[in-house]
Amino acid sequence: MIAICQRTLVLSLLLSLFIGAAYAQDDIVIDFYFPSATANDAEGIFQRYADRFHEENPGISVNPVFTGSYTDTRNTILTELQGGGAGPDVAVMLSIDLYSFAEEGYITPAQAFIDAMDGGEAYASDFFPALMANSTDADGNIWSIPFQRSTPILYYNADLLAEAGYDSPPTNNAELVEIAQALTTDDRHGLLVPVAGGFPIWMYQSFAIAFGHNIVGDDPAEVYFNTPEAVAAVEFVRSLGTDLGVGPAGGAAWGDTPVAFLAGQAGMIYHTTGNLTRILSGADFEVGVWYLPSGPAGEDGTGYGSPTGGGNLYIFDDGSKSQAELDAIWKWVTFLSSPAIQADWGATTGYIAANASAWETEPLASLSMEHPQYLVARDQLQHADKEFSSYGTITIQGIINGTLESILTGESADAQAAMDAAQAQIDGILADYR
Amino acid sequence: MIAGAWRHRLTARVLPYLLIAPTLVLVLMFNVLPAVNTVNDSLYKPARGLNAAGKPPQFVRLQNFADILDDSHYMGQRFLRSFRNTLIFALATVLVAVPLGLLLALLLNRPQQLLGVWRFAVFYPALLPLIGAASIWSFIFSDSIGLANAVLRSLGQPGLNWLGDRNLVLLSVIIVNIWKQAGYFMIFFLAGLQNIARELYEAAALDGAGGFQQFLWLTLPLLRRTLLFVSVISFTFAFQTVEQLQALGEGGPADSANLLLYLIFQNIAERRNWGYVNAMTLVLIAVVLTFTLGNFLLFERSENDR
Amino acid sequence: MTRKSGVAQAVATVLTATIGLVFLLPLVFTILVSIRPENEPVTQGSIFFGSEITLSLYQHALNIAPWGLHYFNSIIFVGGTLLVQLFTVTCAAYAFARLRFWGRNLLLVVILLQLMIPSGVLLVQNFRMINLLGLFDTRLALMLPYWGSAFGMLLLRQAFREVPIELEEAARIDGANLLQVIRHVYVVNAIPAYVAFALVSLSSHWNEFLWPFIITRSEEIRPLTVGLNKLIKTTDQGAFYGQLMAGTIIVITPLVILFLLFQRQFVESFARSGIR
Repeated sequence: MIAICQRTLVLSLLLSLFIGAAYAQDDIVIDFYFPSATANDAEGIFQRYADRFHEENPGISVNPVFTGSYTDTRNTILTELQGGGAGPDVAVMLSIDLYSFAEEGYITPAQAFIDAMDGGEAYASDFFPALMANSTDADGNIWSIPFQRSTPILYYNADLLAEAGYDSPPTNNAELVEIAQALTTDDRHGLLVPVAGGFPIWMYQSFAIAFGHNIVGDDPAEVYFNTPEAVAAVEFVRSLGTDLGVGPAGGAAWGDTPVAFLAGQAGMIYHTTGNLTRILSGADFEVGVWYLPSGPAGEDGTGYGSPTGGGNLYIFDDGSKSQAELDAIWKWVTFLSSPAIQADWGATTGYIAANASAWETEPLASLSMEHPQYLVARDQLQHADKEFSSYGTITIQGIINGTLESILTGESADAQAAMDAAQAQIDGILADYR
Repeated sequence: MIAGAWRHRLTARVLPYLLIAPTLVLVLMFNVLPAVNTVNDSLYKPARGLNAAGKPPQFVRLQNFADILDDSHYMGQRFLRSFRNTLIFALATVLVAVPLGLLLALLLNRPQQLLGVWRFAVFYPALLPLIGAASIWSFIFSDSIGLANAVLRSLGQPGLNWLGDRNLVLLSVIIVNIWKQAGYFMIFFLAGLQNIARELYEAAALDGAGGFQQFLWLTLPLLRRTLLFVSVISFTFAFQTVEQLQALGEGGPADSANLLLYLIFQNIAERRNWGYVNAMTLVLIAVVLTFTLGNFLLFERSENDR
Repeated sequence: MTRKSGVAQAVATVLTATIGLVFLLPLVFTILVSIRPENEPVTQGSIFFGSEITLSLYQHALNIAPWGLHYFNSIIFVGGTLLVQLFTVTCAAYAFARLRFWGRNLLLVVILLQLMIPSGVLLVQNFRMINLLGLFDTRLALMLPYWGSAFGMLLLRQAFREVPIELEEAARIDGANLLQVIRHVYVVNAIPAYVAFALVSLSSHWNEFLWPFIITRSEEIRPLTVGLNKLIKTTDQGAFYGQLMAGTIIVITPLVILFLLFQRQFVESFARSGIR
């Protein structure tokens, strides 16, 4: 029997020899965690960037690690850090994850690095202001750097619109409803707004902004979920599936919406600009792209409006990293956010290149000449507003998503009452911070 | 000689502990100690607010349990729904997938044409990674472009919102689970059936027992232990398999198909919810413990009856 | 025989075919969608075939992840887990089935607690333990928590208890040592229990996603489920069903071939010994 247990021991020792790749000892190695939210071979692309970076910066290696979806990435990193692990050095996470990590003291602001670098101010001001809204805390400190950003946008099937006698896309909600109704047939939805499938808050937020009141303020302790505008917005979205009948009751599922659009089963859809490349290359009809139609707040720009979305670069440091390591980390962050990489990444994936000069850089410059749709996505940024992010983001987002779903699926008929109850719960959580 | 005998006795004394040591140590390390920690942590509320990370948690007795049972608390409603769903999900697995597995075993235990094809047809779902299987079904259930609705519409029926309708989505999740598990359970029954001597059936047939009577009085009693075994694993698995929800609507809309373990995963990240997560974990452990213990006692008793 | 049994046979045949076809349907459409052009859903045109048959989705899917490596890793993971489990479980099962020692029942209950505590819920704490042992991101970390199995111990303990004690006594008189007794008396008489346990262990770890995902970072050791995950998490661009289906087919084809080759032997060997 002892022989058996000895064998077990030998076996386990043998197995433990199969350990992951090792890196040259003299290099600084940056562990870079990234989610993949597109069908591109993100792993291959990041490896290419890492190789190029290593060539330009001998002595610094980057180890790209795929960590699943955005949610997986956030949970993986938190589990690792809470469990005493080293965690990443740099990670791409949702721009709204800021407070989840800042509250725990896991990340360090980019502001100090910007202040210390040559031309730091020019570097920071090259990013589109709307994309910095979620990076900046109430005191104006920049924490994270935009990397793969997006906004929701209106995609329309120009051929179908022309057939129905419309030669331009809707610019306000009244026109939106009118055209959607004209496009609706027995086997085609006029308009799909993807609010089903676990994450209605983002699409909903674009309506709340269009109705005149974002659900989040500049201060991460301010949430406005039961204002008249917030209620009217959700009632409008609900009516698309019920009274107006231009989409499925309860809303469309996020993942299916672009597929249905490409198949000609939806005349118009709300979806992310992150999808532009896929839709342009996949459609066998003329794809139109326009700002999300303005709501009752008016067409002077205040009634337009969509939240921003997507992922930023975060720097992880609990104060234990050496200056040399931090310098290397910052080099990698500036590399990824440089116009050259942003232009390449944006052209490959469809995310909005985050800095203005990237749009003058190849291959994005000629791509956007060829497909002006990319410029619409960029220009909508002037009307874009902060995406929902607060203290206790995950919990509060959970409350909001659950409430929206229960209203949209008809479980809560009285939207105001449901949102009042949710706001009370949210205020209870935020009381700890006020 | 005396030394030899002494050594022999010592070995006999120590041997049992040596034999169980690897299992015991691993179970203590990865199951029991964490569970004990969970019991302790469930009595504390983590510090909240700014700079909470540096502050100690607060002892609150059973407040976390009261909160998750409170329908108006933000975690209460989610917990109560997920708890109910988990029970329905587990019962549906035991009451549908297990009998279906038995039926399939009965059907596929007869010599017939295409036997290999049919066995494959019902067993291949077990070969699919759960997350892949769920993704296939998310395509089938897709509202506007899915297969299920394409079929319904071709029959002149309106399509259903399988993953978006709060009254349907749990059923959809259960359907996937039954499809995934039935063939797997079948294998156990098939083996049990092939073990029953053919002569017994011949004798029963001579006594005039029909097919159904044979099943009732011969097959079922002889399969009792297999049935018990499969019921135990199906029930415990039902509490632990939640990864499919990633592809099947994230437990929504509004938690109408959420399962307890998935709810725990959804809330494990934020410090403020750790107390609730621990309390929910204990509830989950308690339910599985009760059922497993009950099954185990049955198992033991049926052993002793023999 | 009688007409009645003829009718029963017919009913059984129809029932078999119906259930079989319903179960097969998802696979059939997985294959059909995987060879259909990406932007032609089944709701458009023919439900069975698109405008052309193409393997381009397979090319895409193959490029997304190193499938061969993931396959190898999955096999090492489930195989390594099972192999060590067989040793630990046999040792413990013999002790609890046949030996008397102080604290036996208490220790049995402690081990059985594992059955009742879903390991998934202890993710963070198990991560901490693995990290403490310095095993984060190793193959060992994947397997270690599963090397003790209360379930397997219980199953084998039952089987061992059914082995007549006289067999062990006879072997002892013939001069067999403990190892030989276990091997030649107990293991050979408990093959069915071993097969049942192996089936449960292999299939549950083959499907495992969360633990491997959390505890590993290196592509070199990550199993299939993590690779498959790359095809599923295309959230910013919506669903890429075609590519996903192609990936799924890639993942299961080797297993399917194995099953088709060995299905008869598999069921029969399992049955010959009889699981009870």
